[in-house]
Amino acid sequence: MNGVSAAATVAVLKDLGISHVVSIPDGESRHLYSALVDDEQIQVIMPTREGEGIAIAAGLWVGGLRPLVLLQNTGLMEAGDALRGCGIGPSIPLLLLVGWRGYPGAMAGSLPIDSAYPYTIPLLDAWGVPHRALLTDDDLGLIGEMATMAVATSRPAAVVYGYGFTP
Amino acid sequence: MSIERLDLLRALAARREDEIVITTMTATLQWPLVSSHPLDFDFLAFGMGHASDFGLGLALARPERRVIVLKGDGGLLMSLGSLVTLGRYGPPNLLVLLLENRSYELTGGQELSPNVDFTALALGAGVPNVERIDDLPVFETRLPALLTEPGPHFVVLRVTNSEPLPPVRHTDHSSRVENLRRALGVVEERA
Repeated sequence: MNGVSAAATVAVLKDLGISHVVSIPDGESRHLYSALVDDEQIQVIMPTREGEGIAIAAGLWVGGLRPLVLLQNTGLMEAGDALRGCGIGPSIPLLLLVGWRGYPGAMAGSLPIDSAYPYTIPLLDAWGVPHRALLTDDDLGLIGEMATMAVATSRPAAVVYGYGFTP
Repeated sequence: MSIERLDLLRALAARREDEIVITTMTATLQWPLVSSHPLDFDFLAFGMGHASDFGLGLALARPERRVIVLKGDGGLLMSLGSLVTLGRYGPPNLLVLLLENRSYELTGGQELSPNVDFTALALGAGVPNVERIDDLPVFETRLPALLTEPGPHFVVLRVTNSEPLPPVRHTDHSSRVENLRRALGVVEERA
């Protein structure tokens, strides 16, 4: 079944020791956002724009905590300078959970294709941000895999969710 | 009335003890003239307009230590929404000093809108402790409280500069981060 359990995702994030999720949620991540807000272990911060969120996450990491940035691909596009300046440039291993807006429609062959869809992966590639696709519960191990890769490479790494989260 | 910026920085450096000081734009050029401290952090080129966002995250991570952010009014206009986030999540150990010179000084002094009221913007965004200081003796008087009383504090400081600016030096960003984490005693978690 396409889509990922929000409860199972929160459990994975807690196992990884994620301290904060900095997020402007999108429609596909609303159930995950709600589950995170209800959780007492992980703190949720909602900035007003994604670049702001990436800078906040960088400050959290520099201070010794372990943040996750949850954002839509459109927000990632907005946050380019912040990702460069607060992630890639200073070698800060930010973990990004990125909504792949347009993916379900593209997979279903629906037209028109959302213009956010085709640029998402090329953009991550252009920045040199490694990424893996999270499509079902079977893929949840990828979050830990990319968290490890971020630390190992000293640069941001992304998990891109294609179908969103179920309650 | 206004404050000569280097005098303001000298006054801050004289009172500063173990606070983290984050600087950006022209403040990064003049702060090293008055301070050389392991907890100085040069945010120049880390992300336009985001110095106080970074400072907010750092202050949340290190509640035992005060974080001071020196940023410009042009930078604030690049991320105005950060005032709303500061109003919602700003921790008590965060002090933002907005250096208001009404221009993009580092890029040639292009003028900002003369109609913006930064104090009103911060108040409207829900920042709890907002004040405006245009006079150096008042700043020196207020500083001990700003460094000790629970915040977050947001202070708009009308500044001018008559000193020659040192040239921009683009040092390695990774080493700036490593130095600060080392000074904070954060265990390194990267390759």
